[in-house]
Amino acid sequence: MNKFYTKKLSVVFFIFVPIIFLWHPNWLGLLGVQPYWPLFWLLPWSMINGSMNGLIFGLFLGIVLDSLTLDSNFSQIPGLILCGIFFGRIKLNSDNFVGHFRYGLICSFGSFLCGTLYFLQILFENFSDGSFLLFIPSFQNILAEVFLTGFFAPLICSTLYKVFKSQGRKVQ
Amino acid sequence: MLYIRRISKGRWWHKKKNWILFGIFLFLIFVRISKGSIYKDFYYFISKPFWPGQFQKEVILKSIDQESLIKLNLLKKDNKRLRKILALQESNNNITAAVISRKTGSWWRQIILNKGSKDGVEIGNPVIGPGGLLGRVNNTSFFTSSVTLLTSPESKVGVWVDRIQINGLLVGLGDNYPGLILYSNNAEIQVGDFVSSSPASTLLPPNIPIGVVKSVDESFKAKKTVKISLLAPPNVIDWVQILKVKI
Repeated sequence: MNKFYTKKLSVVFFIFVPIIFLWHPNWLGLLGVQPYWPLFWLLPWSMINGSMNGLIFGLFLGIVLDSLTLDSNFSQIPGLILCGIFFGRIKLNSDNFVGHFRYGLICSFGSFLCGTLYFLQILFENFSDGSFLLFIPSFQNILAEVFLTGFFAPLICSTLYKVFKSQGRKVQ
Repeated sequence: MLYIRRISKGRWWHKKKNWILFGIFLFLIFVRISKGSIYKDFYYFISKPFWPGQFQKEVILKSIDQESLIKLNLLKKDNKRLRKILALQESNNNITAAVISRKTGSWWRQIILNKGSKDGVEIGNPVIGPGGLLGRVNNTSFFTSSVTLLTSPESKVGVWVDRIQINGLLVGLGDNYPGLILYSNNAEIQVGDFVSSSPASTLLPPNIPIGVVKSVDESFKAKKTVKISLLAPPNVIDWVQILKVKI
């Protein structure tokens, strides 16, 4: 069992991403918005295992998270796939402080990308009936999510990066 | 011969990792098709120790007072206007459920309740909190049910503005104040008007209090849009009732 935990910690964390997504701890939020949790797992995973793995597990995360949200017309898959590919092309800076800071910026950008793609889907779906009413809350959602994701990323991503790296084993 | 063997070993289906990934993919497709039932039931068990307590004091008491007042007014008028036409249903087999997951900010506006198909919850059942309507059950697993809130961009329900006797469409806008679209440019709606579920609605039972008009926007083409403040604030309610009614 111990061997499983040390070798497969990334899988255990993967399983817990949707649980945290469901949990939605309000005390961590801003204006009712939460950080975009899947990116915290996807960034270190893709950095270690490359773009192809980023794409595949971005798709996997998207499938699971879509099944938990009720919006059957909108999907998180496009954003997560693009983030997976993008994150896989990033190499860690040798300077520790700069590296940590970059996690925040990269996750913020990823969150902006995912949020924008999701908003565009909502806009496209509701184009006919008063879509201008959606703009202000949507921008607020995107900005709050970008800020929170960037704020927590240096702490969570660097920890997960170390944990995944310490497993010393690549998938491909 | 050797050449042929080398090629055949290099095929993707000879790699164990690819089959594992394919297996995971199939499993996740199953999760997607079952709308996350496995995850929701798993979450049901691990969140059990943290379910909300019985008391929410002021918020609930205030909302209940408002709800009673509005209901009383609506029923008085209905007795005169609709009794002959509508059979008002008094259902006693409502299901009380606790909110075990709440997503009331961001894009996804839904709550997950600790009662599922084993308790008789069905897709489409209206869900009310202290104050009024919260949303409708969109999906059930064995132990849990997911509710699309009125604030969700996916929610669209027919409503009735009693003072001016007009029907409208309540659509979620992704913030805490859903929009009411009145397809009449000269409807004389005012801030403070009560909004309830429409007697003409095929999704909801009539006369469930929903909210009050918060602001009236400028007319846009042939439509009038209004922001509604919900009587049952979904971000603080811990206990709800699932209505088992046939519409």
